Amino acid sequence: MAGQCGIFSFSDDWEVARFLYYSLLSLQHRGAETAGIVTSDEESIYVYSKKGRVDDVFRDEEQIKTLKGWYGAGQVDLDHKSKLPFSNGEISVCFSGRVFDYDGEKIDKYDDVQLISEEITKEYKKCDAIGCLNNVTEKINGIYSIIAVTKSGDMLIARDSYGVQPLCLGSLKFNFGVVSNESATLDVIGADFTTDIERGENRIINRYTVDKYVKRENCNSAFCSFEYVYYARLDSIINGISIYECRRKIGCELAKQDDIDADVVIGVPETALPFGMGYSEETGIPAHLGFVRTGIHVRSAIKPTQTERLIGVQLKLNPIRTPVRGKKVILIDDSVVRGTTMRNIVYTLRLRGAREVHVRIGSPRIVSPCIYSDLVPVKDELIAADLTDEEITEVINADSFSYLSLEGLERSIGLSRDKLCAGCFTGEYPISWNGE
Amino acid sequence: MKILTIGNGSREHSIVESLAISNIEPVIFNIGSLINPGILELCEKSGGKVVRSDPNDPKKVVEIAESISPDFAIIGPEEPQFHGVPDALLDAGIATVGATANCSMIERSKAWMRRLMFKYKIVGRLRFKSFTSVEEAIAYINAYAESIVLKPARQSGGKGVRVISDLQEYLKKEKRAVKEKHAKYLIEKHMKPYSDIDDKILIEEKVSGTEYTLQCFSDGHSVIPTPLVQDNKPAFDGDLGPETGGMGCCSYRDTLPFITKEEVDDSLKIIKQSVDAIQKETDEKYKGIIAGQMMLTSLWGPTLIEFYSRFGDPEGVNVLPIMKTDFVEVCEAIISEKLNKIKIEFEDQATVVKAIAPRGYPDYRDLAKGHPISVDLKLLEKYGVRPYYGSIDVVNGSWITGGSRSIELFAKRDTIEEANEATERCIPAAKLLDGHQLFHRSDIGSKERLLVEADKANLAREIYLYRKEHNLIGRKVDWIPLRGKIEYKG
Ligand SMILES: Nc1ncnc2c1ncn2[C@@H]1O[C@H](COP(=O)(O)OP(=O)(O)O)[C@@H](O)[C@H]1O
Ligand SMILES: [Mg+2]
Repeated sequence: MAGQCGIFSFSDDWEVARFLYYSLLSLQHRGAETAGIVTSDEESIYVYSKKGRVDDVFRDEEQIKTLKGWYGAGQVDLDHKSKLPFSNGEISVCFSGRVFDYDGEKIDKYDDVQLISEEITKEYKKCDAIGCLNNVTEKINGIYSIIAVTKSGDMLIARDSYGVQPLCLGSLKFNFGVVSNESATLDVIGADFTTDIERGENRIINRYTVDKYVKRENCNSAFCSFEYVYYARLDSIINGISIYECRRKIGCELAKQDDIDADVVIGVPETALPFGMGYSEETGIPAHLGFVRTGIHVRSAIKPTQTERLIGVQLKLNPIRTPVRGKKVILIDDSVVRGTTMRNIVYTLRLRGAREVHVRIGSPRIVSPCIYSDLVPVKDELIAADLTDEEITEVINADSFSYLSLEGLERSIGLSRDKLCAGCFTGEYPISWNGE
Repeated sequence: MKILTIGNGSREHSIVESLAISNIEPVIFNIGSLINPGILELCEKSGGKVVRSDPNDPKKVVEIAESISPDFAIIGPEEPQFHGVPDALLDAGIATVGATANCSMIERSKAWMRRLMFKYKIVGRLRFKSFTSVEEAIAYINAYAESIVLKPARQSGGKGVRVISDLQEYLKKEKRAVKEKHAKYLIEKHMKPYSDIDDKILIEEKVSGTEYTLQCFSDGHSVIPTPLVQDNKPAFDGDLGPETGGMGCCSYRDTLPFITKEEVDDSLKIIKQSVDAIQKETDEKYKGIIAGQMMLTSLWGPTLIEFYSRFGDPEGVNVLPIMKTDFVEVCEAIISEKLNKIKIEFEDQATVVKAIAPRGYPDYRDLAKGHPISVDLKLLEKYGVRPYYGSIDVVNGSWITGGSRSIELFAKRDTIEEANEATERCIPAAKLLDGHQLFHRSDIGSKERLLVEADKANLAREIYLYRKEHNLIGRKVDWIPLRGKIEYKG
């Protein structure tokens, strides 16, 4: 998965590159491996993308100035192999997702970006923009989120029928339209939220029109549940649901599963802080801040190697002494992928004199990889897929350990399992290869 | 009885229709720059006719009027008012419904209007600066302007307004560049054709909130409201796209679902005070229609964005068809200054009006122009939806699009959502015969959109009510280094 955004200005006096830059910064947490921006002024397409974080890739002010024009798109990605936006001088495509079959043919991973880009280019020559998107998306068996810009002045937007990845639309009145995975992007650049891009929607924005065409397969939504527990920003509204409220409720749900006579609730920054607040709200046990972080925030589940992760964690989190010394602590984090992070955190809490450490995880047990992205590691690297809760308690050296139940997650999000993709928690995926 | 109508858009089509259904059965005439097919049909049926001429030319209009010798005239659009057509008609002894050139300054010059509101301390006024030179405007933008609205000082057909909220320090440079470019564009290009006012552009404080229009009849003594209407200015669905003259409106009985009775009353008070002020300034009676385009803001509650010295288009098309009182009677009451003697009533219904325009509107009108258009009346009849023709010209019997909105579809139902659905079903009734495309906004009147508007209204209401309670309404205090605390005085 990735972070994607697009801006289309209705008058050519705007330079959108800096708006796209800040939009991408607002999506940085969705992928720190590559970043890229494409713009156009109907004369040329200007693209720049590189490995690295947004502010590194666009460190040079001059780089942004070369991205001329009043419309464009951008992408940050988890996957360092993907080169996005994919561009050929006429059309530039930001693609995120996984195409299993195209027009009945099986597609290999990493071939899909190029394939979809080529198909869009081909169809765009043959028909109008909306026809092009309709023809291409009809042949896709898979999940996708697409934002493309063409030299001739169209912006193409598409979201699959399951709506796995979120996509919403905003407006800076009379000035421009904005599309992004997260509504927080709109706040960051000063636009107003207008609507979600629907599941199965193809949409075109150009000077003359905003065209929308919805053709949905007969299926339920399969909104990514990882967005809610972990991936999306706290200040975003995703598919009409407030991420902050959802995470606070997750804390409440965790508390309802417990009956522990603890002294303090501590959430591991940043993602688990609202879990801690919800837990405290439900039980009356005071919530405290327990850690101060050193260095920039890099999402640890997304970091590539084991050693890097270990160093990352130790560098990152330093416990504050007074809230833990001599206390029975409820420690809440967002996920346990390989157990290493958690073992370190528990260890440092004990060093600072915590009497008991009860570890709670604000997501259900992760048992399976994400077949649509690199968001979750493959199965052999998942501790939960291998060990029981009791065994994990031993490994991380906690007094007790438990996950949020799937039902608790459903209640927190406010959607039942059949409307979510909970593949990483259940191993059941809404869509995969034809016939599988 | 003979009545002369001026103007050829959808609004005038509905004015002519309201006259045509009068018990008095008047003979109706029309002067327009295009031959509007709807107006043509109604006028001819009544025994009158349509004359193609320049409705903004007082001489020509009077000449035609004298040959007809109507009992009275009604002016639909604002430009004939600005050009003194009502004055010329009155001079020729023809009673006229429509603000005179002086009274219509309330719409023509947004600078005049704002100064008037300050002079008479009318609530709901926005702070502004007016400029005539690019250099001064840019100097101001660089020194002070943050979140602002740049607009032409003169009414110019619903174009040229830029709303630029500027709260993000990191995007200031880009926003400033556009502010400067737009100020330059407005002064050097946009305002070039207009020499009838001195100010060139306004820079206004930017407010936010839900918008609505309150249209009223005025006879120089009484100001009588019609149902509240909400227009939608951005061209495309989801409030995207450039500014237009209005893509569609809804109304619900005498108010809107998200505006309170008190807010309607407060808005009416603002309009009444403004009419009094206009009459004091001009020493003329305001006889015609006046409308306040309002916004419910946290700063004031009901806040004045601009005035119309006529019915809005499309807003007029929401209210005229549901007026129960005979429109001829209303016009006569305006002329004889007896509005207080009649009761003006409306049906208890929700209405939705949707504009349909050829692709190219609003910014590329040459593209939108010159396409043959047809309308499937059977489909409209099936859903009880009525067409009001706009920018369509009857040329040798064929209907050809002008550059603006071609048709407005009107539906009335018990709820806005139902009326919306009815108009949506009838959108396919309009077709361009040469394959060029039409567009409209499907979201106007939808449940989702109404919720968004209600949310905006609630947000503003919570704050302005608090401010009112604490005597803070309309106040804005700032601190500027080396200058200290300043209060922007209203
Ligand atoms: N001071 C303001 N603050 C916020 N928005 C404004 C302001 N003035 C105008 N607008 C927005 O711009 C639109 C058009 O402005 P308006 O003054 O009505 O000019 P026009 O003559 O083009 O209709 C309004 O409907 C409103 O949405
Ligand atoms: Mg207006």
